[in-house]
Amino acid sequence: MTIEKLKKMNKGKVTHIERVANEMFLIKIKTAPDFSSKPGQFISILCDGHTMRRPFSIMNFAKGNCSTAPDYGVISLLFKKKGDGTAYISALKVGDTVDFIGAMGNGFSLNNEKILLVGAGVGVAPVYYLKKYLNDAPRLIAGFQNADEIPACLKDEIDFISTDDGSGGGQGKGSIIDFLEEEIREYQPDRICVCGPHIVLKLTSEIAKAHDIPCEVAMEKTMACSIGVCRGCVITLNKNGKLENASVCKDGPVFLGEEVVW
Amino acid sequence: MVDLSVKKEKLFLKNPIMTASGTFGYADEFEDFIDVSRLGAVVTKAISLKPRPGNSWNRVIEVTSGMINSIGLENVGIEKFISDKLPVLRKKNIDFVVNLAGSGMDEYVELARICDANKIHAVELNVSCPNVKSGCLEFGTDARTLGELVKSVREVYNGCLIVKLTPNVTRIEDIALAAQENGADAVSAINTLKGLGMKLSFKNGKFYREQVIGGFSGMAVKPVALGVVNRLKSVLDIPVIGLGGIASMQDVLEFFAVGADAVQIGTANFTTPDISVRIIDELSAFMEENGFRTLEELKAVLRHFSPR
Ligand SMILES: Cc1cc2nc3c(=O)[nH]c(=O)nc-3n(C[C@H](O)[C@H](O)[C@H](O)COP(=O)(O)OP(=O)(O)OC[C@H]3O[C@@H](n4cnc5c(N)ncnc54)[C@H](O)[C@@H]3O)c2cc1C
Ligand SMILES: Cc1cc2nc3c(=O)[nH]c(=O)nc-3n(C[C@H](O)[C@H](O)[C@H](O)COP(=O)(O)O)c2cc1C
Ligand code: FES
Repeated sequence: MTIEKLKKMNKGKVTHIERVANEMFLIKIKTAPDFSSKPGQFISILCDGHTMRRPFSIMNFAKGNCSTAPDYGVISLLFKKKGDGTAYISALKVGDTVDFIGAMGNGFSLNNEKILLVGAGVGVAPVYYLKKYLNDAPRLIAGFQNADEIPACLKDEIDFISTDDGSGGGQGKGSIIDFLEEEIREYQPDRICVCGPHIVLKLTSEIAKAHDIPCEVAMEKTMACSIGVCRGCVITLNKNGKLENASVCKDGPVFLGEEVVW
Repeated sequence: MVDLSVKKEKLFLKNPIMTASGTFGYADEFEDFIDVSRLGAVVTKAISLKPRPGNSWNRVIEVTSGMINSIGLENVGIEKFISDKLPVLRKKNIDFVVNLAGSGMDEYVELARICDANKIHAVELNVSCPNVKSGCLEFGTDARTLGELVKSVREVYNGCLIVKLTPNVTRIEDIALAAQENGADAVSAINTLKGLGMKLSFKNGKFYREQVIGGFSGMAVKPVALGVVNRLKSVLDIPVIGLGGIASMQDVLEFFAVGADAVQIGTANFTTPDISVRIIDELSAFMEENGFRTLEELKAVLRHFSPR
């Protein structure tokens, strides 16, 4: 048993926590030096008094040789306050310890294709990480309900923003899905990567398929273990006509959209 | 070094800390967190004759100090277990118990026969899963049917035969005695309680409801489990493996105090994936510090205070 293999049990310190939109928070956690992650992977946080850890996509993680950079070895997460677990995390203070496991799951594929990234709501987090990981090369578009829902920390980093009610200003009014055809026509991506509510994943995947563009979707499902043993987070995949189960936590959370049984 | 081993009747373990079926996969999944070979034993996810896809609805929900699951015994089936999982467990020196779930008497017997042929040292009969329509629950709730099942399995299986009991019955003593009389080597208790977990929210003038009906587990069920083990110890001679809500060394000591011979850790593996080996370390440190040389010595002292 090597140390390398045991390192998924982690503790980190909060270095920054900030409300960045309506009920939405940015938290930064300083990790142990051996932590590593890829876009699309997630961590699962232990929330005081709760049996089930809460999973969150990594929004950024700076590793590499720039050890003097302020965010070196720091995980950023973007999360929406929903219930008790996220309320607990939102109440953490700088200096508090975060007990988490990760990085868990498989991420997006990483290559130099022309990638269109689609985020909806807090789902913008993992696709933003992919953009940063690929040195800002991909195009990132994102949809939010209204102006209050747009995370201030990402506003200038998103190439195109739509809001359901148009309150987001000059860019788009309507669901991000309404702009997808146009984006595909203009940007001509080789691949689409998307994260957001179930319906956004499904529709994006369908539109991508109609254009014959491979689409990677980052799925969500309530998790009990986050490591592939409880079978609580299982979805059905259709692999060349054969139905099979896959766990979102271990086999995912990123899947090929065309294989998911929606 | 203290001696943590358990040697009672046909139950042999290097230490009393096992992990519970359905909460530990087939063990290799936990290698990112602990050295699995240190565990007293790992109980595998329930295995059936044919692979099962499991339930298709929402499968898990958190409740106060616990959770509800409705997995529906999703598993790879015995054939794949023998070909893919068994060699890994053996190669890695992991002590394990195979949890078996049949949909009828014949299937249990066939599963046990296959385990015997493959020299599997211990099996745990899951006669108590609340999440599947046909099969195993009926065996766990009727003493006579369970007796027949244990007898038939005993005829084909020579290893350590553990029967896992459901708390969802009126008189668990009768069921346990039927297992003992028909050749079980040990019982384990408890499986999950029947429950319903619900989350209601009210948004924009509308209620939203999320719910899962299934097995209730986690810290909240510990008092039920302790109560059951206490009752079982008053009627049984064979070893009792206690489980239900264990999340700390203190909990383990409480199970020893009511007479448990070994324990299993279930839902707590989700909350704290390295909890099992942490408890082993804490237990041996506690014994060392306080002059208990063997687990038997510790248990004897604890049982002295056990309620009767
Ligand atoms: C792989 C993955 C990545 C995720 N990444 C992010 C992220 O980057 N930012 C973010 O804000 N949220 C993310 N989520 C969702 C986040 O985990 C839930 O919002 C959180 O667990 C809610 O916990 P709670 O105690 O506050 O809410 P609860 O009171 O437990 O529930 C509130 C609502 O949240 C949803 N929920 C609860 N538990 C989960 C869960 N385990 N998974 C998904 N939904 C759940 C349910 O719909 C529930 O009704 C992710 C989920 C998954 C599976
Ligand atoms: C997600 C999950 C899956 C389970 N699957 C099985 C199973 O396949 N076979 C079985 O005998 N028990 C199964 N159980 C029951 C546990 O082994 C254990 O009896 C129960 O959860 C009580 O212990 P705990 O409170 O420590 O979890 C499962 C429990 C959970 C939470
Ligand atoms: S959360 Fe347990 S298998 Fe995915």
